[in-house]
Amino acid sequence: MSLVTIGLLYGAATLVALFSGIPIAFALGTVAVAFMVVFMPGAAVGTVAQNVYEEMASITLLTIPLFILKGAAIGKSRAGSDLYAALHAWLHRIPGGLGVAVVVACGLFAAMAGSSAATCSAIGSSGIPAMRQRGYSPGFAAGLVAAGGTLGILLPPSITLILYAVAAEQSLGRIFLAGIGPGLLLTAMFAIYAVLRHRSEYRRAWRVAEAGGRRSAIIADDHFTLRERLYAVPRILPFLILLLGVMFALYGGIATPSETAGLGAVLALALIAAVYGAWHLSDLKPIFESTLGESGMLMLIIGMSLLYSYVMSYLHISQGAAEWIVSLHLSKWLLFTAIALLVVVLGFFLPPVSIILMTAPIILPPLKAAGFNLVWFGVVMSMIMEMGLIHPPVGLNIFVINKIAPDIGLKDIVLGTLPFVFLMTAAIVLLCVFPEIATAIPDWVYQK
Amino acid sequence: MRVPSEFDAAAPADIPSAGLLGGLQGLLNGLNTVLIAASGIAAGAAGLVLTWEVAGRYFFKIPSDWQDELSIFLLVGATFMSAAWIQARRGHVGIDALAHILPPAADRVRRFIADLVSLAFCAFFAWRCWALLIEAWEDGQISGSAWGPPLWIPYGLMTAGMSVLVAQILLQMLAQLAPAERR
Repeated sequence: MSLVTIGLLYGAATLVALFSGIPIAFALGTVAVAFMVVFMPGAAVGTVAQNVYEEMASITLLTIPLFILKGAAIGKSRAGSDLYAALHAWLHRIPGGLGVAVVVACGLFAAMAGSSAATCSAIGSSGIPAMRQRGYSPGFAAGLVAAGGTLGILLPPSITLILYAVAAEQSLGRIFLAGIGPGLLLTAMFAIYAVLRHRSEYRRAWRVAEAGGRRSAIIADDHFTLRERLYAVPRILPFLILLLGVMFALYGGIATPSETAGLGAVLALALIAAVYGAWHLSDLKPIFESTLGESGMLMLIIGMSLLYSYVMSYLHISQGAAEWIVSLHLSKWLLFTAIALLVVVLGFFLPPVSIILMTAPIILPPLKAAGFNLVWFGVVMSMIMEMGLIHPPVGLNIFVINKIAPDIGLKDIVLGTLPFVFLMTAAIVLLCVFPEIATAIPDWVYQK
Repeated sequence: MRVPSEFDAAAPADIPSAGLLGGLQGLLNGLNTVLIAASGIAAGAAGLVLTWEVAGRYFFKIPSDWQDELSIFLLVGATFMSAAWIQARRGHVGIDALAHILPPAADRVRRFIADLVSLAFCAFFAWRCWALLIEAWEDGQISGSAWGPPLWIPYGLMTAGMSVLVAQILLQMLAQLAPAERR
């Protein structure tokens, strides 16, 4: 059987297995084992368990459960609402200050927790009601938190970036640093949008009020005394110290990424015990259960995706597909656009972890041959997958918002996220024109 | 589509709760409770081990030789030992787009087939884990590091986790065949 036929069969079998509803981990494992049985020597089939163990027994990959534990510890505490409340107290003089506070809180929280869903849920559960109480439209409030949550897969310690570093064999420290510039760019773009949208809703509400209609809460001014502002600081200070301390440990050469993950998890648990008194079994049980539920599911997907990629590589499917893409002699940016569209489409159906591990062996060699910086591409790929978190049909963050704010209709949420999809597309274009937004920080830290 | 979101730990899905199957599920629930507690302790311990690695090296100049490997054992163990507990809550995510399109009867068949394939794969994988464990035990295999711990430890954790996972999927399938016993 020709390589092309085997490759097409592999792709078709994967689609059938995934769309039949078999859990992703088992679907990928089934396809890989079936092709091993038919096309590979018997000895390879015999060592399938060892193969998965050896792929998973990577200390870089195993930082993932610990980063999830750190995120769960912070996410299950009141840190999220304290964070945005403190920022609001300090930013309330800016028009749309509450929206800006929510965006900045999302960015900071994402950098501590490393997870989009956790960020949306932690900031949104108190941030959305607060914004609505102050007259923000439901779609705007929902869209802002959904988009803010996406910063979780871009800012370190993003799980998506960890997997990309493993799949692309790039330095994790470099990739983490490369996510910071684009993460800040998106935070700034979201915040500016929040100000502009607030102004527009404010003006509309003012016109209605002037015409004798309902007086929206958005017109009312917030006021915080200096005492209130100062009182907000001590609650969030420990978490900012955790964030900066972990970054310092990682980049100051004190700790490796895996040690940073362990240290971060332990410090986060210690902090919520100290600040919120969350050290009883009843406090810790939900934290560990949600960590194990999410990380167990993800790690099995990762283990089986690695087996899937191993089979694809053994049968020369990935190399053949990569060579075929190179042989098309597409122009540099046409190749990039085609690959970006592929990632967008895959993002309709698959979580980022599977997309990265399944496609990396095929798409990275042509990109490298075309002269793209793979660290830069990792960040761009993450941004594309982030968009998948806030647009249908998957839109994980949309569903998280729907769960925490069930009174906002799904249509309102989707319409509210649309402007952010455009903003993210604009940020990707900016990153293509100015790749330094991503590469400057790692180049500076690592001296090229 | 079901997607990785906030994990709902309190919501076991379509597990048998009455009759013989319910009794067996009760036993498995007890085992899963023990395994999930052990997995939680393992994850916490891995965090502490890695924290000790940094502190030991930075403050006491103690070389790091066993900590990474021990953390790997703990976290691989936590991953596999929690697999059945996650399965009981249908927490292993998949694309269930067809569930919204197919009529209910056809969707039940689809779900059953999906479970059957999952069961076949997990049973095959568990069998290969057993073979790996027995070989590591009989040959006295140790890891290639300077610390050199026996490999039956992580292989044993993988094997135990996969075996319980197979039992969990099987019970959920049998519950579908005997709907009267489901609730």
